[in-house]
Amino acid sequence: MPSQLPPLAASCLRRWIPRAEQAEVLGDLAAEYARRRASDGRLPAEGWLWRQVARSLPPLVRRSWWRGWTGFEPQANRMQPGGAPMESWIMDVRYAARRLRTRPTYALLAILTLALGVGGTAAIFSLVRGLLFERLPYAHEEELAVFWNQFDWSEAEYVFLKPQVTGFQSFATWRSADVTLEAPGAPARLLHGIASSANLFDVLGSRPALGRTFQTDEDRQGAENVVVLSDAMWRQLGADPAILGRRLRMAGVDCTVIGVMPARFWFPDPEVQVWFAASLNPQSRSGQYAQIGRMPPGRSIEGMGPTLTQITGLLATNFQYSAQWDKTKNAKLTPVREYLLGSLRPALLATAVAMALILLIACANVAALMLGQVDGRAGELAVRSALGANRRRLAQQLVAEAVLVGTLAGAIGAGLATLGFRFLVAMLPLGAWGQAARIDWTLFALAIVIALVAAVAIALVPVVSLWRGDVRGRLARVRTSGGGRMEGGLVVAEVALAVLMAAGAALLVRSVTKLYAIDPGMDTRQVAVVDITMPVQMSTELRQRTLRELVAAVGAIPGVRSASAVQRLPLRGTGDNWGIQIAGHPELPRSTTAFRIVEPGYFQTMGYRLVAGRLFDATDRPDGERGVVINEALARQYFGGENPVGRQVVTFDSLERVIGVVGNASEANLVDSAAAARYMLYDQIPYAPTAHSIVMRTSRPGDVAAVLVAARRVIQQTAPSVAVQELTTMRRVFALAVGPARQVMGLLAVLTALAMVLGAIGVYGVISHFVNRRMRDWGIRMALGLAPRRVVGHVVRRGLALVAIGAVIGVAAALAGARLLTSFLYGVSAGDPLSLAAATTALLAAGALAAYAPARRASRVDPASVLREQ
Amino acid sequence: MGADGLLGAFEEQVLLAVIRTAGEAYGMEVRRELERMTGRDLAIGAVYATLDRLEAKGLVTSARPRSAPSRRLFSIARAGVASLSATRAARERLWHGVNLARLAPDRT
Repeated sequence: MPSQLPPLAASCLRRWIPRAEQAEVLGDLAAEYARRRASDGRLPAEGWLWRQVARSLPPLVRRSWWRGWTGFEPQANRMQPGGAPMESWIMDVRYAARRLRTRPTYALLAILTLALGVGGTAAIFSLVRGLLFERLPYAHEEELAVFWNQFDWSEAEYVFLKPQVTGFQSFATWRSADVTLEAPGAPARLLHGIASSANLFDVLGSRPALGRTFQTDEDRQGAENVVVLSDAMWRQLGADPAILGRRLRMAGVDCTVIGVMPARFWFPDPEVQVWFAASLNPQSRSGQYAQIGRMPPGRSIEGMGPTLTQITGLLATNFQYSAQWDKTKNAKLTPVREYLLGSLRPALLATAVAMALILLIACANVAALMLGQVDGRAGELAVRSALGANRRRLAQQLVAEAVLVGTLAGAIGAGLATLGFRFLVAMLPLGAWGQAARIDWTLFALAIVIALVAAVAIALVPVVSLWRGDVRGRLARVRTSGGGRMEGGLVVAEVALAVLMAAGAALLVRSVTKLYAIDPGMDTRQVAVVDITMPVQMSTELRQRTLRELVAAVGAIPGVRSASAVQRLPLRGTGDNWGIQIAGHPELPRSTTAFRIVEPGYFQTMGYRLVAGRLFDATDRPDGERGVVINEALARQYFGGENPVGRQVVTFDSLERVIGVVGNASEANLVDSAAAARYMLYDQIPYAPTAHSIVMRTSRPGDVAAVLVAARRVIQQTAPSVAVQELTTMRRVFALAVGPARQVMGLLAVLTALAMVLGAIGVYGVISHFVNRRMRDWGIRMALGLAPRRVVGHVVRRGLALVAIGAVIGVAAALAGARLLTSFLYGVSAGDPLSLAAATTALLAAGALAAYAPARRASRVDPASVLREQ
Repeated sequence: MGADGLLGAFEEQVLLAVIRTAGEAYGMEVRRELERMTGRDLAIGAVYATLDRLEAKGLVTSARPRSAPSRRLFSIARAGVASLSATRAARERLWHGVNLARLAPDRT
């Protein structure tokens, strides 16, 4: 028969037709095709053939599935080789499903273990992808760079440089400027804002969704106040497209809304709600600004050398810098991505590594479990092999089982990943980005893909063992001792990974413990804090009076023992340093110290220690002599061994008398060494900023929350124009000052616990299997008089040996890998012996415990019943 | 075949075609017979899938003739005959008393 089917049509059908029927079906089809081609012509014949293929495939696929699932084999095909190629997979999946159903412990352990690893990994990688690899909402982000970011810039520097610097396409300046939004009939609220030069959006290359951004002259002094809203802010205001041109009362002045940015836009973080055109003062040298420039297309940061030289040259002609803050010497451009997101990287990276380790541990666990199962099935596999199953088919069955486990684990893992994602967002130090992180469908896809890849990788372990071993020879060796080397290797690897993680967690625990052990110099317990902002147009006198009234009002709240206020709370970073001179000592260098403006009762409320002299009291009147309280560091630095009380210091041009000395406190950061600081009363200086913190010490620890709620209400009643920015406690401020190490530690501790549980499960599984294999030996030896306690010792020793080898490898890996955590460590070296010892001990204890259960089982075996089983 | 032992329409047609092509009843021939009798171009895959299902239910058997071992030849089993006869009886009971001519629209 001159019958040939087109190859594509034949191959479409072939994989769904049993081997025994392929020759007949394809041959008949080819003959019919040839007949039609001869009688009707080529085109109609091909049309007929492809209709046959298209309409045959669905019933054939259904039949393969049905045959694979039911195991149906027609009478005529008995003693014929094989079913449809796809059918064997379906049969194997079905067989695997049946095996899993009949071994629920193994199945649950394998699926849940893998699901945990998969869920965690999918969650962190989804988070990392969303935060670190998403495109920034600016045109050609590779052209954007931030000027020497360790420095603050001033308006004077920007106005001076802008017309003269030639190497950038353009550059803009901005500073953080939180403002109050006042609406009639509603309490004032605080918005996160940015004040920038008019060209900020042009430099970023971002267009508004509505209206326009700033025009060239809008950052001049005296220009109309204009504001651009974030999409979220616009929606909070009612999402009215007619908002353009509306005037909003912000920071006490009327601002015209000129534009709304798209939903995806953010700068410099996702919490910013409004952008103002700053009114740039060429004389202002106060430094709070950052600068961002757009480089010419195709130019790299390395290629900007001449421009940096030009900038430092220009700065040197017009500005003088102290050696420590010399901008002419430390020129450096930072890519915008690193500037904006760089701080997130260490925590995300450490978490991603930890999650990947958990996944690896889970995979090793499941592989060890499968290996144990393969060994348990040695007899069955040998019989199948003797009946003609080849290794390929046996391997396919293992892969089918792994894929089934992987699919189920992927489905459960996807669910766990959504939980894990929320958990990570809450646990990681992500700041404003935490709120911006969103779950999307890729998370689920990722979970399934990771699970399937892991499953195939897992299946390779038993497949390799099968391939290497002589399957038929196993029949003879069933239930004898020996073997298990590969399983042992897997557990060693698992333990090594768990030790690695435990060592990392121990390092962080030690760091954080050390951070918490630092004495901040005050009593942070039972202190409630309310951060407030006053309107810009409020006069200094009115601010002082309002603050007095507010402190008096919150002081009357039941449960408040004492109340006060300060312009800058301790432990919130550097800032507010004022120049100082000592009267009668012109030879001492002019310098600055931390400067705090307080209400009376501040030291008692915050729990500072009085060292000498007295604290502020009712005798310090607004019109009386100005008093200053200094701390021990200032006393030592400026007065040496002399008693400073009664001496005078100079702030600007006025004199203050030192009335007392208090102990050093962490005025800026927790880990800074004690810095000189001085404290004055609001009423005695002609200055009051807009932002203040009201502090209240409560009588009982449990009162703090209730006091905070009452304080918000009291403040709004007493001064409706004051915006309540944040309610918090000194405990929380302290925790934030401890920094990201605390949050990363919490997360890593949870993950380490998980890793140790998985490691212990691995040890348990392998030792159980080891015990099962040797049960007969022990039965005989115990019948001959071996003491059960020696069996226990033998089994536990075996478990501990595996853990010990794993621990040694894990410690070596920890020594090599601890650098990843360096940025979180404080007062501990990356190779801290105590941490490594703790990690090893924890794993040895877990390993001993995991081995003990099967060991006891082995020691209780009844020799007679074991021997009967043989 | 439903739970009551009655055949589906396509199953009935395939069984009848197996009887009509007795001795020659391999897949493609059954398909051709169906095409000849019903005028429908049926997919060979659908015919094989149905024949397998019928065999699994014990209504047909398949064997490979010594003369042509590559072919799977179908023949009706005793249960198949019974099913066909039950299906036919059920159909005739349904048809009983139905006068289509009365329901057909008048021709002018």
